[in-house]
Amino acid sequence: MNLFNIISELEKVDPEIMDRLTHRRSALTALGDISKKMALAAAPIAIGSAFNKAVGQQTLGDANAVLNYALLLERLEYDFYVQALAAPTLAATLTGADRTAITVIRDHENAHRTLLAAALGANAAPAPSRFDFGNAFATYGSFLTFAQAFEDAGVRAYKGQATNIPRTLNPTVGGNVVNVLTVALQIHSVEARHAAHVRVMRRAPAAGSQTIFPWIINGDANGAPAPVYGAGNPVATFPAEGNLSQGGIMSLATGLGATYTAEDVSAAFDEGLDNTTVVGIAGPYVRA
Amino acid sequence: MSTLFLARAMQRRSFFRVAGATVAASTLVLAGCGDDPDPAPAPVDNGLALVGFDANRNPIDDGLLNYAYLLEQLEAAFYQKVVAAPPADLLPGELGYLTDLRDHELIHREYLKTILGSRAYDATLSTPLEFNFSTFTLTTRVGVWTAARQLEDIGVAAYNGAGKLLVQKYNLIALSKIASVEARHAALAHELLQSDSFASTVGADGLDDAKTPVEVLALLEPYLPIKVSAADLSTT
Repeated sequence: MNLFNIISELEKVDPEIMDRLTHRRSALTALGDISKKMALAAAPIAIGSAFNKAVGQQTLGDANAVLNYALLLERLEYDFYVQALAAPTLAATLTGADRTAITVIRDHENAHRTLLAAALGANAAPAPSRFDFGNAFATYGSFLTFAQAFEDAGVRAYKGQATNIPRTLNPTVGGNVVNVLTVALQIHSVEARHAAHVRVMRRAPAAGSQTIFPWIINGDANGAPAPVYGAGNPVATFPAEGNLSQGGIMSLATGLGATYTAEDVSAAFDEGLDNTTVVGIAGPYVRA
Repeated sequence: MSTLFLARAMQRRSFFRVAGATVAASTLVLAGCGDDPDPAPAPVDNGLALVGFDANRNPIDDGLLNYAYLLEQLEAAFYQKVVAAPPADLLPGELGYLTDLRDHELIHREYLKTILGSRAYDATLSTPLEFNFSTFTLTTRVGVWTAARQLEDIGVAAYNGAGKLLVQKYNLIALSKIASVEARHAALAHELLQSDSFASTVGADGLDDAKTPVEVLALLEPYLPIKVSAADLSTT
């Protein structure tokens, strides 16, 4: 990972980026502060956020754009698990039932990218040359933290696009008529199962985080990059995972005739996330 | 009863009120039959039809929201029963999980009830539906988690199948926020029963189950005190 190269690349795309990031020195200082607190490999996420602020919003105009966005995320997830299973640093720790679980998840992501590519046909975007996850695989703990981040972000990404898929879109894929929205929802719940399982793995004695649950409590990142659990844009549509307000009810903790804890209310609802924020999170791992 | 019932000409809205009264009466009759070894009544035709209430607000999703509400009522009632009398062989931490699951489902239930307001199918019932869990073994942890797994998997498949039927986008958003939480619950129930089975409902195509309301209600029939029909819900 080379911060200067990335910023230099950003400048080529958007010459005014440094103005919007105030100036280079403070941007790098800010990144330096963050990277002290995060694992080094997580630093590209901070750059992604900066890139996000600089280039502003993008919207996914049609179903093909939505599917290509999903395809990129599935390719990333698939490659992440392929690299993890091959990583020498994880050979001694990612074993037994845990290795089996990650293999199962890898196979699902592979099936997802194959399905999405088939649905897109000639409209499928070319795959990136590679994905670079920095030193995500340095330890069993850092690997699981990344896995949680990608799976939880994946759930949010699909949820965030559900309303951009026409509910009557029924193309023929591989000889079968499929409803694209239903398929997206079927993938969405699989990603949620993955996220829950990875969180159970993090909770297990090997990773030792007993405060982690299969669901997201108060939007806590549990060591994963905070933007994965933060608000998207616009905030009203894509609130942070700690959100307590649903369906026009200001607080479900107090607005339902009984009092519920913020922990339970936040955990009872997952939130969607906009594509620009998700790309800001995932983009730094993608190599053109 | 059924013939007389059908013979009456009435608006859809009043149909629900009468259906509600029928449910209440059945419950009272049941209460008088404490020694009956099989307290589950035979499903009654026309017990309840899930359909939008108000023909002036068309197209609407009320039938599907009521369907989700029924699912959440069922799940909440299940966990309430389990938490009130947990099996003795639960492992450390499992009662905490079950309590969290109960609270999530209670919040889902009360949220949908609030959203539906007077359009909730049971808004005019004198007593809410009582669910029948006698087909489950709730005295052992394996029995409890097996039942939880089954109900959560049904919930996931139900939400996945209902998504495309929702006309209003805000309803799709609302139900998808619940759907992934049900998938997290399902994965945990699988995991606690068998290592690495968190996604055993997922096929080689990488897709989770999706079921139509008709398919889901057939699966729920053993737990429901009355017959619920989804025949009037849209299928596309």
